[in-house]
Amino acid sequence: MSDNTSLMTSPIFESFKNRLKPQRSEAQLALANVHIFNKLSWSEIRRVEQTVHVRSFAPGENVFKQGDPGSGMYIIIRGAVGIHLDIPGEEPQKLAELSEGDFFGEIALLDESPRSAGAIAIENSKIIGFYRPDLMNLLHTRPALGAKILLALSEALATRLRSADEKLAKATRQLKTYLDAEAQDHD
Amino acid sequence: MTEPVQINQESIRYFNRNLFRSLIFFILGILLLIGIYKVLPYFLETMFMVAMAIILTAIIGPLIDRLETRGIRRLYGVLLFFGLLIALLVFGAVRGIPVLLTEVGKISDGISSATSGSSMEEMLGSLNTWIAKYLPDRQISMETVTEYSSRFFGQIGSLLANAAKAGVNLLFIVIITFFFLVQGDRMMKRLIESVPNRYFEMALNISYKTQKQLTNFLRGQLLAATGVAIMSIIGLHILNWTFDANISGPFIIGSIAGFANMIPYIGPFIGMVPAILVSLFNNMGDPAAASQLYYALHIIVMFLIVQQIDNYVISPVVVSGSMEMHPLTVMLVVFIGSQFGVLGMFLAVPVWGIIKVLVLELYQGLKGHHFL
Repeated sequence: MSDNTSLMTSPIFESFKNRLKPQRSEAQLALANVHIFNKLSWSEIRRVEQTVHVRSFAPGENVFKQGDPGSGMYIIIRGAVGIHLDIPGEEPQKLAELSEGDFFGEIALLDESPRSAGAIAIENSKIIGFYRPDLMNLLHTRPALGAKILLALSEALATRLRSADEKLAKATRQLKTYLDAEAQDHD
Repeated sequence: MTEPVQINQESIRYFNRNLFRSLIFFILGILLLIGIYKVLPYFLETMFMVAMAIILTAIIGPLIDRLETRGIRRLYGVLLFFGLLIALLVFGAVRGIPVLLTEVGKISDGISSATSGSSMEEMLGSLNTWIAKYLPDRQISMETVTEYSSRFFGQIGSLLANAAKAGVNLLFIVIITFFFLVQGDRMMKRLIESVPNRYFEMALNISYKTQKQLTNFLRGQLLAATGVAIMSIIGLHILNWTFDANISGPFIIGSIAGFANMIPYIGPFIGMVPAILVSLFNNMGDPAAASQLYYALHIIVMFLIVQQIDNYVISPVVVSGSMEMHPLTVMLVVFIGSQFGVLGMFLAVPVWGIIKVLVLELYQGLKGHHFL
């Protein structure tokens, strides 16, 4: 028994075990954490990795500007990104600060409408860009894989829509209650 | 009393620095232009081969994509395609070349028998009588016909002389196309990744849309040309069967008509000319054919029908609407192309189409990203 344990912990065995363990790149690991890719197999993730673009951004550099045509989504491998909203005549408003593992802009994969907010790198950042042309290429050459991504994207949209509906219903109810109370006060 | 204008020393330095930088950029730009002008001729042939490979990749690429969709790896798909192409070419060379040579032989027999005998002079006589009715000062002499014929066939001779060089170039084009088909996506990705972050999204979008438009445009042109070629071959056979028009080489003439179809407005007329000439040469001395104006009217009607089918049935389906061109543009482009010979004339419109797609996509991309 003790012989077995020493064999299992021996450096040779450890090295052999490490060699057998699949090596995942940081881009693959980052992709696997995003909801639209997390149902994919590792071989599919590898195929997506071949398609996406890993970009480096310096602090203060624009990832995209507000009003630019939306082209795709971003996943932060390292660093941090601030999401800003420019309102004419006012100071830019910081909406969120995103860090490692966070993603943004996935709706732009489906829609070319202008970006509703801008994204600026806060520190040196390594970011994956997955754009509509990449999704189209995947749909063209690997339709099954493309369809899986589209389905996950649709599910995410459906969840957001349901959540927005619930918020709207809640707000409507609150407004109705408030208006009823106001009407009773007047009476 | 106005205050005296204070010129800040910092502003002067800034102005001088900017002026110096602009001057450097201007000189560098001029040197670059001179360099391109001097070096370009040496790379023209290579650029032509790369351009042809890009065009071929755009045509064959969708087929390889389809094979990839069916689970066949890209490299194997390309190998399969080229294997089939070589097999088809070998089969074509074994079976098709004798047929092609017979067709060429028939056409040249017709021409030589027409020009050697007195029938050519007879025909010229009747043609001159007809011309004299409308243009009394214009007459076609036998010398003019001989001069134009020898010039035309001389050009064919020089084309054949360059065939060996063209063969080597073709081989290079095939090799470049092979690599573009297998690794084109990776090459494009590397190229795009060298673009700075600021322009990256725009460059990626422009490259994707341009590739798509280019593929659609070239595939449309090829499909329309094939359609016209097949219809013309059938039409010429029908003329031969129905009217005994004796137009030899329908396959070659139909193929020329299909190829010429790539030139809008002018192409259909280019397609008609060889058919009318062959009919003229083959039927010379035949009074029945002479009474039918050597079937010229039949040929024109047949090609007009083919053109109508192409214009209203084939082209609207296969050719992208955004590639419509004004007749004047086509004429100018073909004129510019003609400066580079017959091939230049044929390639002028497709090349113009490619330039148009590139410029349009670039303009829309720059405008969309507020650079314009």
